[in-house]
Amino acid sequence: MGEFKVHRVRFFDYIPSAIRTMAFNSQTERLAVARADGAVEIFNFNDNFFQEKVIPGQDGRAIEALCWVGHRLFSAGLNGEITEYDLENLRPQYTVDAYGGPIWTISSNSQGTQLAVGCEDGTVKIFAILEERIQFQRNLNRHKGRIISLCWHPSIKTEMELLVDRATGASKNKEVVVWSVGYLSDHTIISGDSAGKVQIWNGLTGTLVRTYLVTKWDVLVLSVSKDESSVIAGTSEGTVIQFQFISSTVDQHDKEWVRTRTFRNHSHDVSALAHTDTAVVSGGMDTQLVVRPLLDKVEKNTQESALRKIAFPHRSLVGCAKKAGLLLFQFPDRLELWKLGESEGHGKPGDRLPVKRKPEKLIELKRKGEDHICCSALSACGGWLAYSTVSNVRLYRIQYSNTISINKVSKLPKELRSVHQLCFSSDSSKLFASSCQSSVIVVAVSQQECRYLHTLKHKTGSRQPVHLLCASDDGKWLATANTDCEIHIYNLHKMKLHCMVPVYNSCPTTIAIHPVTNNLISVHADQQIFEFSLVQKEYTQWSRRLQTQGLLSLWLERDTPITHITFNPKNLDHIILHDTYMFCIIDQSLPFPELNAVLWNQMTLKSLPVSQRIGQSHAFKICKSFQHLMCVSLLEDLSLVVVERPLLDIMSQLPAPVRQKKFAT
Amino acid sequence: MAKKQRGKASSSSKTADIEKPTKSFTLSLESSDDEAPEEVTFEDSKAEALRSMKQALDTARREKQLLKEKRRKRQELFQEQKKRKLLSADVLEEIDSAFSKKQKQSEDEGEQEEKPEKEGGDGKKKKKKKRSGKLANARNLKGKYTVTTVKERTLASFQQQVAEEFIQSRLYGPGTCRTTSELVASPYFIFCQVFYSMTRGDAFLQRFYHLVCCSLVLILSEQSFCVADVK
Repeated sequence: MGEFKVHRVRFFDYIPSAIRTMAFNSQTERLAVARADGAVEIFNFNDNFFQEKVIPGQDGRAIEALCWVGHRLFSAGLNGEITEYDLENLRPQYTVDAYGGPIWTISSNSQGTQLAVGCEDGTVKIFAILEERIQFQRNLNRHKGRIISLCWHPSIKTEMELLVDRATGASKNKEVVVWSVGYLSDHTIISGDSAGKVQIWNGLTGTLVRTYLVTKWDVLVLSVSKDESSVIAGTSEGTVIQFQFISSTVDQHDKEWVRTRTFRNHSHDVSALAHTDTAVVSGGMDTQLVVRPLLDKVEKNTQESALRKIAFPHRSLVGCAKKAGLLLFQFPDRLELWKLGESEGHGKPGDRLPVKRKPEKLIELKRKGEDHICCSALSACGGWLAYSTVSNVRLYRIQYSNTISINKVSKLPKELRSVHQLCFSSDSSKLFASSCQSSVIVVAVSQQECRYLHTLKHKTGSRQPVHLLCASDDGKWLATANTDCEIHIYNLHKMKLHCMVPVYNSCPTTIAIHPVTNNLISVHADQQIFEFSLVQKEYTQWSRRLQTQGLLSLWLERDTPITHITFNPKNLDHIILHDTYMFCIIDQSLPFPELNAVLWNQMTLKSLPVSQRIGQSHAFKICKSFQHLMCVSLLEDLSLVVVERPLLDIMSQLPAPVRQKKFAT
Repeated sequence: MAKKQRGKASSSSKTADIEKPTKSFTLSLESSDDEAPEEVTFEDSKAEALRSMKQALDTARREKQLLKEKRRKRQELFQEQKKRKLLSADVLEEIDSAFSKKQKQSEDEGEQEEKPEKEGGDGKKKKKKKRSGKLANARNLKGKYTVTTVKERTLASFQQQVAEEFIQSRLYGPGTCRTTSELVASPYFIFCQVFYSMTRGDAFLQRFYHLVCCSLVLILSEQSFCVADVK
């Protein structure tokens, strides 16, 4: 099979940002998640919870609340502004200042005509939602404290707000803050406050119906299900408690709110919740998104009912210059360029080789301005570096003489503006940048200047952004994939569209073009693999055989997407893929595993003598020794680079969780 | 004796009620009914009455004068305080007349401050001259100034900071029992992570393991409870 020298890289200090709030759109089955650094991520719940879009954050944009109105996404934050996002161009479309100080909550009425925001100064401001913008309508009466939570009544145009309350007889001398409130059609109000109580009120008489003390700490967030029979509350402890409107006796007459389930899936505070029809989605300070299907709504013991934890982004943040042995790490506020170390000697599999030269950080490049870095690229030779934010693109030339020198290329073509993906050609002469309406801008980069060459456009009329860009090694082909699940192939010699791969209903998570055969390998969010021949414009034989045979269920049930594909120049049958928990070498010359075969058979193969291995081996060679993988790449000298970021390293750098008494601690 | 008594009676009636004294006294301050009424001459009582009236007028006048004094003193005090607040008259005159002098003075100060930024200052100087040429009413500010606008978002960022501090104090401030993240890497937490990574995607296995662990915890907790009892 193959023996590889592995560069095991653990110096990528990636820390994801805490989840502040989320909002679920049941029409489009999309979940919008806002993080503490201002980034907004859209997950497609129909497509294996794939992270479709990422809108990069901005300094000072501290989002406190998100709201979907039809297909439009609004956010409000502590900077006092309401922002509408352009989901086709992955940027904020416009911002409106509410002039009420920091905004704590935003909510739209059920008709989708009005938007209410709760501000720091105690006013509730109503905005009318118009075609392309929102317009201020009126203020409601001013209250003494700040408005932290707000909720519209589902049918009538009245609304309810709750603010900072004074606690009576509380032991601490602090006011009780009502963090979240929900309003049901039968005028029941449910509130969660910082005293750890979930209280159910009769909205018409203003009386308290029931109190549940669920935690010693705060109840930070509440979410009501669409059919109003279930409410979930998230606490500072990391638990999510479900209340259901059920009757205690067999006859359905005396229904009341009863505490039913408790989910303990987080180690830190739960600050965001969404209640979909079949699942409870929670996120918080521990930066992980957890989807917990409710077992009374889904079929048990199927993949549908499994717990899902999304801890890492579904795109690659590591760029690798294969010829130069360099790694580029992308952070929201900076880029780091590292040179890999060297070791000498050989060893048996599993040995640790002594390190002759340590890896060193060559350049740390901080971004300019307030916008966070959206994407970055490093050329294969290591001489060119580019990154983009929502407002501009920057290109740098790096020279490796005795000392490293980095020079910014000052005059860039004006077409390079809002760019979502960047990619260098393999000979480092061209830079490809995906722009609005899935078009690709081609610019030539050279020592002297950066010159605009061409814009490649497709014919389907899709306006969705391109999230994957890939150029072939021979410089003839360019493949792009957008979030409408379309993959377009462009011929770079003729500078026009070559063909489009037949659309598969799952979004591609990674694409790559084989260096010799020029076949496009695409892996999708539902873990399907396709191989498309660019020259012949059809699926290859291998791909058809794979589809006929079908992939093993263990492969299809993996819950993290494949984020990178690379090839082995020495052995052209090999395809190297990886996801967060494993990397796999697919050998196209070997047969596919039978339906009842064992997928992870490396251990068994090792125990067998060489002659017997051929009978047992199949095309999928999976290695799980390294976790959690951010990138696996193969350098020109055939050594493997494995960038790991163990989850425990991230956990140890998070802010403090609440102190809980646990057995044996 | 009788006279004295009468005098007292008359004066008391006077102070109570300032009227012209009448001859007829109806006061009955005599100790006994047997004694004959005293004889008081008209002149005597008249003199008495006049005297007491004069006394009353005198006291009233004195009081008025005292009040006047007080008011005058207070007024003087206020005026003095006001004077102290305002600049002295000569300073005001100087300001009014010598406006240009003041300008030059401030420019000089400005130059002293901006000395280290000479290069930038030269360019700006030229710019300022151009600008002053265009606007008729603008002051002719010579000197190496750097003009920067106050950052637009000062008030907004201050409010944002206050809001962020509010969240921080409610969630992480005093009174919230927080532990360190190192404790998170406790055996329990590591077990949770390992459990999840082993059973990802396999719902049946998850539930099975969950059941096993719950029963284990139950047994262990029962044990510890018993131990506490014994102690």
